[in-house]
Amino acid sequence: MKKHVITMLPGEGTGPEICEAVRRVIDHSGVDITWEYEEIGLDCLKEHGTLLPEKTIKSIAKNKLAIKGPTTTPVGTGHKSANVTLRKMFDLYANVRPAKLIPVLKRPWDKIDILSFRENTEDSYAAIEHMVSDEVAQCLKVITWPGSVRIAEFAFKWAKANNRKKIQCVHKANIMKMTDGLFLEAFREVAKKYPEIIAEDIIVDNCSMQLVRNPGQFDCLVLPNLYGDILSDLCAGLVGGLGFAPGANIGDNCAIFEAVHGSAPKYAGMKKVNPSAVLLSGVMMLKWLNEHEAATRIEKGVDKVLAEAKHLTYDAGGTASTDEYADAIIKAMETV
Amino acid sequence: MLTEATSRRAKRPAKPITLVGVDVYIITEDGIPAFDDYGAFKIEFISNRGTKVWPGYVSPDLMMVNWYRCRFMAKGPVTDADVDVFLSNLTKKWKWSAAQKLWNYGDEAGFSKAY
Repeated sequence: MKKHVITMLPGEGTGPEICEAVRRVIDHSGVDITWEYEEIGLDCLKEHGTLLPEKTIKSIAKNKLAIKGPTTTPVGTGHKSANVTLRKMFDLYANVRPAKLIPVLKRPWDKIDILSFRENTEDSYAAIEHMVSDEVAQCLKVITWPGSVRIAEFAFKWAKANNRKKIQCVHKANIMKMTDGLFLEAFREVAKKYPEIIAEDIIVDNCSMQLVRNPGQFDCLVLPNLYGDILSDLCAGLVGGLGFAPGANIGDNCAIFEAVHGSAPKYAGMKKVNPSAVLLSGVMMLKWLNEHEAATRIEKGVDKVLAEAKHLTYDAGGTASTDEYADAIIKAMETV
Repeated sequence: MLTEATSRRAKRPAKPITLVGVDVYIITEDGIPAFDDYGAFKIEFISNRGTKVWPGYVSPDLMMVNWYRCRFMAKGPVTDADVDVFLSNLTKKWKWSAAQKLWNYGDEAGFSKAY
């Protein structure tokens, strides 16, 4: 059995209790993982004076792989987001977010299976903002050719490897002709190398409307950072909310798997939140490690627990605690 | 001439404005720029696509483009004329696409830091 060393970042708020449940499930899946626990987030500030301690950075740099619980990003003022810092530091340029219907969560659609590939390092997240006069603020939207090419390449390769049929580039190039125009041009250039995959483009506002009206028509989306941030949450909402929305931040030599929901500090210590998003991020991580058997075992365990609907957390209409839900999945994994 | 609508626009409470530095966007194919002394200003950080690449750790995996934001902070009180001299000297060695003066508004910086 192959051994893996993975940095575990429990985060803050409900993060530690979620990550502990996730660790137990993954450890029962049959993989051999040594977990290196490291700190991240607001709780680090008092002791280390930073949201992202040096020791944490070194662990990720060494292991090239981490799974992360939720952290809080101060709004408006204060410290930079630890999430964005990690993505930039390790150049995790591809944010992959699947949105697939979960049968137990009653939704008004028959089919949703959307894969979003969000460019994760550029756009208006380049952190270039100025008060250019006392009444005018400016944020630079930075789109680069190599940055756009590599996220398009990533999306097409992933789509091909996973037998997906269509990719749509989401943009607003009718208005932002330089920036979104460059992103679209790069997408079209890369698409020429993948004739077996249907390559189309769609304007972001139309895409939003179509996602709400008829989400079943979508397959894969590749998006600049800001549209990807917003629309991937929209997709998560379509299938049942952020509690079931996994995510991966992937670069050429490093990957960090994380849920996209917040740290829900008001529920911290109550052990009632749904760990599915981090757990399904863990499933993505196991597949990334080519531990497909273990990943499938967990997926089947989750599916069984959700189908039986006896041990659901409050957000899915049940009363089970985080630990009871995890225990039910572990038990289900023994029989699937 | 001010339009009538301009005269009616919402006004933000005024704060004292102090010039404290300048961001210069340098274009180079030779990697992270290294700067000499430019008189009234001192280099504070350099970022590429918003990621800080100097000083400090830079991942060997980081992809950079040929466009660097270089933040120069004033060593002491400075004027617009000091920025003119600074940019004039910078032009002798570097190609740059734009410069943005950095102001504090009251006690608050009117500019973001790099990641």
